[in-house]
Amino acid sequence: MLLDREGVRRLLDSVADVWSANTTQLNEIDSKYGDGDHGVTIGKIANLIKRSTAAWDEESIRVFLTQLSGGVMAIGGGSAGPLYGMVFDGFAAGVPADAVTIDAATVQAMLSGARAALQSISKAQIGDKTMMDALLPAVAAAEEVEGDIGDILQAANKAAAAGVEATRDMVAKFGRARSYGVQTLGTADVGALSVAMLFEGLATGIE
Amino acid sequence: MKMKKFINQPENLTDELLDGLASAHKCLLHRGDQNMIINNSLDKADRVTIVTQGGAGHEPALSGFVGDGMVDISVVGDVFAAPGPQACVDAIKLADKGKGVLYVVLNHAGDMLTGNLTMRQLEGSGHQVIKVVTQEDVSNAPRDNADDRRGLVGCVPLYKIAGAAAAEGKSLEEVAAVAQRFADNMATLAVAVRGATHPSTGMALADLGDDDMEIGMGQHGEGGGGRQPMKTADETADIMVKGLLADLGIEDGEKIMLILNGSGATTLMELLIIYRECEKYLATKGIEIVANFVGEMLTVQEQAGFQMFIARMDDELLRYWNAPCNTPYYKKI
Repeated sequence: MLLDREGVRRLLDSVADVWSANTTQLNEIDSKYGDGDHGVTIGKIANLIKRSTAAWDEESIRVFLTQLSGGVMAIGGGSAGPLYGMVFDGFAAGVPADAVTIDAATVQAMLSGARAALQSISKAQIGDKTMMDALLPAVAAAEEVEGDIGDILQAANKAAAAGVEATRDMVAKFGRARSYGVQTLGTADVGALSVAMLFEGLATGIE
Repeated sequence: MKMKKFINQPENLTDELLDGLASAHKCLLHRGDQNMIINNSLDKADRVTIVTQGGAGHEPALSGFVGDGMVDISVVGDVFAAPGPQACVDAIKLADKGKGVLYVVLNHAGDMLTGNLTMRQLEGSGHQVIKVVTQEDVSNAPRDNADDRRGLVGCVPLYKIAGAAAAEGKSLEEVAAVAQRFADNMATLAVAVRGATHPSTGMALADLGDDDMEIGMGQHGEGGGGRQPMKTADETADIMVKGLLADLGIEDGEKIMLILNGSGATTLMELLIIYRECEKYLATKGIEIVANFVGEMLTVQEQAGFQMFIARMDDELLRYWNAPCNTPYYKKI
């Protein structure tokens, strides 16, 4: 299976839909252990995705994703803006410059690119109760799949969801939640959760 | 508790707030693009200039201190949220008048990401920039682990001190060294008795019981331990002063700056009562307050509580603190 521009648009819109539907849940968790607006930022990113895909005209897939990354980075959403900006920048880096379609190997390269980009600005590791706890297992699972794009995104989605569940037993070591220490036990990390929603959107969008 | 705030559309909060600030203080500052607030006399500046960045919702900080003798450009994100790096890169380029730019970043996750990406993007641009990070909250990490200490109200006196050094015509290296020396010798402890609501969502941030207070909360009321039954003004003042003096290792005979910064819903009456006790306690230790401020510099919406800030002072730092400045919310003649 190959994804053309329409296919990529469908995946991104699906991510935006999942995010938009869950902003209140993200705000609620962030109000307990953060500054209460992760859902606001995720909602702004989702709206930006929808506006951008609707206006997507001439640009190549890579150029489009690079522009989207710049928009997300500038969204003024605290740490989530730059972090998700880097994720989209990493997606773009995985796409060959002149590609008009995307195959399974490219999807894997895009996911690996997101991991590399995020790790270039964050030192967070597995177990620190951050976005990484969903992203790293998802990318690792995706890299192991020998199949089509659907298989890759389903595997990534499953691993991201398991990664979020695992954060319930972790004590936050980064960001604002860090100051709550052991009080964060039992609650999933809000950043890992929004990453898992991204993979949920990708997996649903490919169906 | 239901949110009761005079707002319009929540998504327009930051835009409308910046419009209001620029209208009310048009003789001192104006809006630029990408949520910049710019000192009106930046164009004529022949000196090191000062750029800072941060979220809105903490008024008067940070943009209320844009003006002569403090900040030249403040780059605003959204409520409680840092701006992206592109706006900061553009602000630094705009601010650079050939003498370099001091870039002040508060230690919060989003601000630090943006700060690091901004510096990365400016590499090789030919602009001389030195970044100084404020990280003075003693409650969330020991002094030798300053990377984990958050930046609270300390950025405001730092703007003042760095701004005065810049106005004296010091080089970028000198201004940065003064700012860093001040930053290395400052400490803040916050206490909260009632949380704020997030103006964009209406949701309550942090939940404190009716009979509790919490010493060691961050900028937005994020917890940091130290929850205890409510105490009197004098008892609270003593706990906090002692904590700050111990952290800074301040001894008999030293001179300090003391700031009591209300978080938004604590009255000036209470702050003045606390101040009186602080001065009394410090006198018994032979410590002299040579610079002070009691009021609101950096707030957290309607959070009740305050931040107590102490910095070790010397004659040079005091000269900068006492130099004239003219900004909307801090003026010295």
